[in-house]
Amino acid sequence: MKKKALSLLLASTMVVSLAACGGKSDAPASDTTDNSNSTATDNSSTTTPAADTNTNTEAPADTASGEKADYHEVLKDGITIVVDGTLTASADNGQADFEKQWEEAVGIDLTIQQLDHSGYQDAVGRLFAGGDYPDAMIMAAGMFKQYAPTGLLWDLSDAYANAEFQNRITLTAINENLKDKDGHLYGFAPAYGNGCVTYVKKAWLDAVGIDASSIKTYDDYYNMLKAFHDGDPDGNGVDGDTYGVIAAGFLGNEAPYINYLPEFWQGAYPALYQKDGKWVDGFQEDATKEALLRLQQAYADGAIDPETLTASTKIAREKWFSNDQKGSAGVFTYWAGTWYQNLTDNLIKNEVNEELVQLPPIKEITDTFGGYLNREAPVWVIIDQGDPVRNQAVFDALFDTMLDGDVVQTLWVYGAEDVHWSTKAEEFTTNAGTDKEKSYSYADGEFHMKPSPNDPNTLWKKNHLDSALVISPLTNGFTAESDLMAEGNKFFTENCVDAPSTPVSETYTNESGTIYDAKLAVVTAVVVDGGDVDAAMQTYVDTVGSIVDQCLAELNQ
Amino acid sequence: MAKKKVMTSGGVEVRQKPLGLRIWNNRGYYIMFIPVLVFLLIMHYWPMLGVRYAFYDYKPVGTPTPVGFAHFQKMFSTPAFWTAFWNTLELSIANLLLTNVAAVVVSIFLNEMKNLFAKKTLQTIIYLPHFMSWAVVASIFSLFLSPSSTGMVNGILRDWGILGEADKNIYFLANTSWWRPIYWFIQVWKETGWGTIIYLATLSGINPELYEAADIDGASRMQKIRFVTLPALANTIITVLILNLAKVMNLFESVFVLYNNAVYEVSDVIATYIYRQTFAIALPNYGYSTAVGLFRSLVGCVLVLACNQASKKVRGRGIV
Repeated sequence: MKKKALSLLLASTMVVSLAACGGKSDAPASDTTDNSNSTATDNSSTTTPAADTNTNTEAPADTASGEKADYHEVLKDGITIVVDGTLTASADNGQADFEKQWEEAVGIDLTIQQLDHSGYQDAVGRLFAGGDYPDAMIMAAGMFKQYAPTGLLWDLSDAYANAEFQNRITLTAINENLKDKDGHLYGFAPAYGNGCVTYVKKAWLDAVGIDASSIKTYDDYYNMLKAFHDGDPDGNGVDGDTYGVIAAGFLGNEAPYINYLPEFWQGAYPALYQKDGKWVDGFQEDATKEALLRLQQAYADGAIDPETLTASTKIAREKWFSNDQKGSAGVFTYWAGTWYQNLTDNLIKNEVNEELVQLPPIKEITDTFGGYLNREAPVWVIIDQGDPVRNQAVFDALFDTMLDGDVVQTLWVYGAEDVHWSTKAEEFTTNAGTDKEKSYSYADGEFHMKPSPNDPNTLWKKNHLDSALVISPLTNGFTAESDLMAEGNKFFTENCVDAPSTPVSETYTNESGTIYDAKLAVVTAVVVDGGDVDAAMQTYVDTVGSIVDQCLAELNQ
Repeated sequence: MAKKKVMTSGGVEVRQKPLGLRIWNNRGYYIMFIPVLVFLLIMHYWPMLGVRYAFYDYKPVGTPTPVGFAHFQKMFSTPAFWTAFWNTLELSIANLLLTNVAAVVVSIFLNEMKNLFAKKTLQTIIYLPHFMSWAVVASIFSLFLSPSSTGMVNGILRDWGILGEADKNIYFLANTSWWRPIYWFIQVWKETGWGTIIYLATLSGINPELYEAADIDGASRMQKIRFVTLPALANTIITVLILNLAKVMNLFESVFVLYNNAVYEVSDVIATYIYRQTFAIALPNYGYSTAVGLFRSLVGCVLVLACNQASKKVRGRGIV
């Protein structure tokens, strides 16, 4: 009997020990008072940031009285930030110098935790699951919308209103629009969101005899893709071994979802969005069905690279500008401005004709959305540590200095002095010994970009903030926007409209993964497998229709 | 205290000293065991407290709130969960059978090789894939099987005329008919070499006199394999199968790096389902993930106990 009892005990132990892998042992704090003494740099702490912001939304007492606590004093132990790949000064690209110069300028220690860009949301989830909360971090718009109502983020509306940079802001609307209906501001956007434009390889257009200015409608666009696939635009003597367009997925998982293939989606917005003041599921609308049929046709015709289904952004762009253009595509819709220069540089590096054409939005896009979509801006947030004084200090040290117009803002915009940029006289050459060799010569005091630390053949372009998108310009006169970047930014600004806003509801937060899986199943069934769009859509309704209805009911309350 | 009577397997009655006295007499060993015990308690038993979150709504922010069996109700009513559950069993069990059959065949083949150098070289070559990470393996096979004009396999099929002018390239890793065979092929390619180690060890322990006797009886090579080698391997095969059967619910990495949304129907397993529910959404509910994990563990535990029973019957002793 004892033996059986022991066996049962052991068996039970085994079950829970195996299951424990999926659980989390750190108990979060039940309210803010438990966390008032927690410090941000203590990542081993098992406490969770405050869950209830009600006690923390007020400005700190010293702020209310008009006197801010000295952040040097409050943040003696330094601050920790979590960033994605938009901090271009990565570990192998001069981050240590950026960090050192920031610390010298601001006067406190900075710890940067840079997570994998393409899996940032997953990585943040893992970080939080492990109980590691930074002082501040970057969040994409969709992610931010879901975290904003949870109480994890500090309401920085007062701090923002009293920020030193207020008198220099030229673009105020973006942060005002981030406020919720009660005026709370849980995130700070130092720059506009930017969006994607369609780039076409000029050499390919010439090879198939198409003038870019003649591409005005979807039919024109599609004929160009077909010509790129059916002909021999790469000039290797083989027809049919190239594609019209490649993208990282037919449907993105981050708002605005359709920005990598806008010509196919046209006026469709396959997500929950507001239409005439009411939230609807755009995925079930006829516009989405028509878009899926366009994609289906393009997939069958070879106008789209079939690897679009599984390609990540990195794979898609590397395939696009690869040295061997066999299997590449002529069209790539990607980020505007800096990426215009980046794509060009990569084509040069891979010894491919670098001339690109930026395609204006086709008629079907301008007639519906009005232009390319300007995504909701990524934001910086402060994790509420339950200590308003500390939160305010983090704002002052990190956000307020980020737009100081001078030394610190330059670090965020251009990177570290004499590492990423310089004002000292110097001469250097890129791509030496090739036909793309280019020499640069600068006089003393002339602001200029240096070669990238991890790629001496490419000039450094920017760090985290894009000088063209930042809401408060530099006041020190430093500017290094290349002609292409300037042209790209201007082109996008002239051809963009704001993307629909992302929904926030409890059910959507819980079920967004399930809904996205169901959407991808429809896209695959229709586009890749050539299935019937109505049947696939019915499967979507059967699978997640009730969940979507619940989301819409919550959103339309 | 009176000494406890214990009957040995040989039927001899011995008297056992009290537990306290035995611990004292072996105190040196017990002291040495303390670090292990502490490690086990901290690393294995302390985290077990986390399973209570299967009954809570538990997100990265906020206080966990009890929800009873709500997560289990949701789990059992979600088609994607059941798809993942059955996929786990089907993929794992087929993996187990295929890799073991391949390992046995390759072991026998290696055992029959007379040239020692060739045997060692071949062994090294077939072990190598085991040491490659799954991420690397997935990248290599993704390139080979690419549906674009640069895909090697599609190129060969086209060159050999298997794919005609009008045929589209096959997207092997995004096709529900092809994904599983490809997955199993990769599994066999990667793990067969490693699996042969235990069988080769068993084969080296077979009494040579058995083969000599078979020679005298005029047995052919195939007959020796059939009547000497395979029976000698039988016990090991069953042991390996039983031991591995207990791990069938642990399938994750190999699937995670090879699957994609087009083939969830045939590839999504419990662990990848948990991963997506936990990390692929901005604000995950760890409670639900823990509930799915607990269910997976329960099934795993049942399999372990079943294997233990099977092991007792086959080998005369259990595995736990």
